[in-house]
Amino acid sequence: MAEPAMKQSDETGEIFDKGIDKGLARLTPEKIEQVINKVLSAETGARLKTYVNTCVHCGLCSEACHYYLSHDNDPKFSPAGKVKQTIWEILKKKGKVDHKFLKKAAEIAYTECNLCRRCAMYCPFGIDIAYLISVMRRICHMLGVTPLYMQDTAHSHSATLNQMWVKEDEWIDSLFWQEEEAQDEMPDLRIPIEKEGAEIFYSVIAPEPKFRAQLIYQAAVIFNVAGVDFTMPATPGWDNSDQCMFSGDYEMMGRLKKAHFETAMRLKVKRIVMGECGHAFRSVYDVGNRWLAWKMPPIPVTHAVEFYYELLKQGKIKITKKYDKPVTLQDPCNISRGRGLHEKARYVVNALCEEFIDMQPNREHNYCCCAGGGVINTGPPYKMKRIDGNRVKAEQLFAAKARGAKVVIAPCHNCHGGIEDINHHYGLDMELHFLGDIIYKIMEKPA
Amino acid sequence: MHDVYNFVSGPLVWVSFIIFFGGCLYRLISMAVLAKKKDVFVYEYMSFKYGLRSIFHWIIPFGTVKWRKNPILTIVTFTFHICLILVPIFLCAHVILWKESWDIGWWYFSDTTADILTGIVIACCVFFLIRRIVLPEVKYLTSVSDYVILAMVAAPFITGFWTYHQWPGCKITGIVHIIAGEIMLAAIPFTRLIHMVYFPFTRGYMGSEFGAVRNAKDW
Amino acid sequence: MGKRTLIIYVVITLFVCIFAVMSGYSQEDVTTVEDSAFEEKMRPTVQFLHDEHNEAAGLEECDVCHHVYKDGEKIEDESSEETECSECHTLNKGDNPLSLVKVYHLQCKGCHQKEKAGPIMCSECHPR
Repeated sequence: MAEPAMKQSDETGEIFDKGIDKGLARLTPEKIEQVINKVLSAETGARLKTYVNTCVHCGLCSEACHYYLSHDNDPKFSPAGKVKQTIWEILKKKGKVDHKFLKKAAEIAYTECNLCRRCAMYCPFGIDIAYLISVMRRICHMLGVTPLYMQDTAHSHSATLNQMWVKEDEWIDSLFWQEEEAQDEMPDLRIPIEKEGAEIFYSVIAPEPKFRAQLIYQAAVIFNVAGVDFTMPATPGWDNSDQCMFSGDYEMMGRLKKAHFETAMRLKVKRIVMGECGHAFRSVYDVGNRWLAWKMPPIPVTHAVEFYYELLKQGKIKITKKYDKPVTLQDPCNISRGRGLHEKARYVVNALCEEFIDMQPNREHNYCCCAGGGVINTGPPYKMKRIDGNRVKAEQLFAAKARGAKVVIAPCHNCHGGIEDINHHYGLDMELHFLGDIIYKIMEKPA
Repeated sequence: MHDVYNFVSGPLVWVSFIIFFGGCLYRLISMAVLAKKKDVFVYEYMSFKYGLRSIFHWIIPFGTVKWRKNPILTIVTFTFHICLILVPIFLCAHVILWKESWDIGWWYFSDTTADILTGIVIACCVFFLIRRIVLPEVKYLTSVSDYVILAMVAAPFITGFWTYHQWPGCKITGIVHIIAGEIMLAAIPFTRLIHMVYFPFTRGYMGSEFGAVRNAKDW
Repeated sequence: MGKRTLIIYVVITLFVCIFAVMSGYSQEDVTTVEDSAFEEKMRPTVQFLHDEHNEAAGLEECDVCHHVYKDGEKIEDESSEETECSECHTLNKGDNPLSLVKVYHLQCKGCHQKEKAGPIMCSECHPR
């Protein structure tokens, strides 16, 4: 994918991104100042002010950040260090910042922070640094300074209500196609489309129909075997993913979540069950609903990990023989720190696998995969930055491998993408699976 | 000297206490009002139970992963903050002044204990200073104001220590001690020392979000 | 060297003797503020040269300091030189010696503050 957008200056190491660079070229100093102050005055308030006033510059958040750890404790990559280079400076200069500053700030906000919220557990004051970085992203979005690849997904969201430019007929066709495929294995299998009053609306992210269609196949098999009353919509609103939440396009985020919730309402389902994706869960369960003024989602939202837990616990799916390769588990930020599903994930893993070797640190304290928060969606220009920025994940995985783990289970699409790249780059040579992959493989299926 | 003493130990004390309490109250109320106006959902998510749960863990030495990972810092920072608050309140000389002015009194440290605790506060300040200068991740975040704040906190203790031991110039340091204490008190609402007042709210809010919404621990 | 050291010792001893004798004489005057109620002293006893103080302060009446109160009112022309302050001023049994310290401080420091003369800071009366 050697495209012009990937150009990188050899001398300075400066990365050229068409979205950021061209966006900046359009801006005058007056415009910059005006937009920044508009965002600050209209959209920020007590939280921003209190957080900035409370931070005593102690640096204790540093060791929370995988970027900081991966860059040999370079203070520029510490959480507060990144806030210093973005929000502090903007507040100090009252929005009178130049292009050079903004380029750096955009890079920091979009490609050097995954909004993983680990630092909130290391700051004694519980300062929400991810929020502060989000404010920077919001400013960048309002200035039109967003990474090209990420903006492309945001455009897709606004044009199609899904992340991957999947057209309506392509979506329906993908479901039919996977249904047919799966019927070879299980002749009476159905992927019920538009079934009003079904128990569950199964929602996925657009990359599943786009290039991981087998995940839909596997989910269909699992649901059919377990006798789950589910449906998938034929209309836009099926996609639960949300890059607009990460680019700073909150208006669009609101539209996406509205479409998603309304689809669930239209189908009169009792709840939404989501595939193995972390950021989508964050958007549907935690962030998007707030933009729509729902304190909690208007309809219960269950992540796949929790759903598998229910199925196993209730004996709706049975295991023929436990998975025999030793596994380790990547706790995705958005469902561990974001939903506390780590214990349920362990229950599922232990129910499925013979040998489970935990990573260190784990659960809420696990390191981010460095792909989430939209960082992987900034695409090829920043790929190496992302991989270099998570050496510590490679070390963590090597340690798990040294203790016997051969397989990494990552119940999140972003974690998958991130760890896949880390796996190749650092030569980890570990297998990578979703929980669904393993359940599908070892579950009892009707002969 | 009498005029100066009467002034700094009379009207200035009033001024500093009024600024301290009034300022803290103002900062709290303005935060609450602004939150109501701009971040109204904070009120929705703030949870008494989960907020306190998080605060509780963070105010216990070694009660969080972070505290356990940095044992020396944890010991220093807890000792520092505890002494910082206890010494001025339970110092015999201060208690006597309260007794003289308001006829109220309470238990106080023996002079030796207070002397040791004051020394500890000063030592902790030195530790923080060295930390700021030596550790790259702290140095990177440090601006002049951080040194000023540190000096502002250390000054009453250093001058108090000096005065108590009646080292040369102790009459002057006595006056300086009173003024330094007043400056620190008055500065709390208007500098990052406000973290003293905001801590329960920032920590409590994060604890609420983690606990009530995300079903997770934040320590 | 031995001879020289001896001379120095003799001179010092002499000085000490003279000082001791002189202070023995002046012992008849009041030189400290003492009160038997202070069992344990946190600070050294306050040095107080009674006559010199009164001369400097222009005090002629004893009852300015050695006052007598009855039912909250000061009784004129009566004084209490022979009584210790603590005999009357042990009011709040609970928080002694604070209450007693308070009356001493207000008596001395309070007057000094008002008159803008005399010691007011801790070290001035309680030197180490």
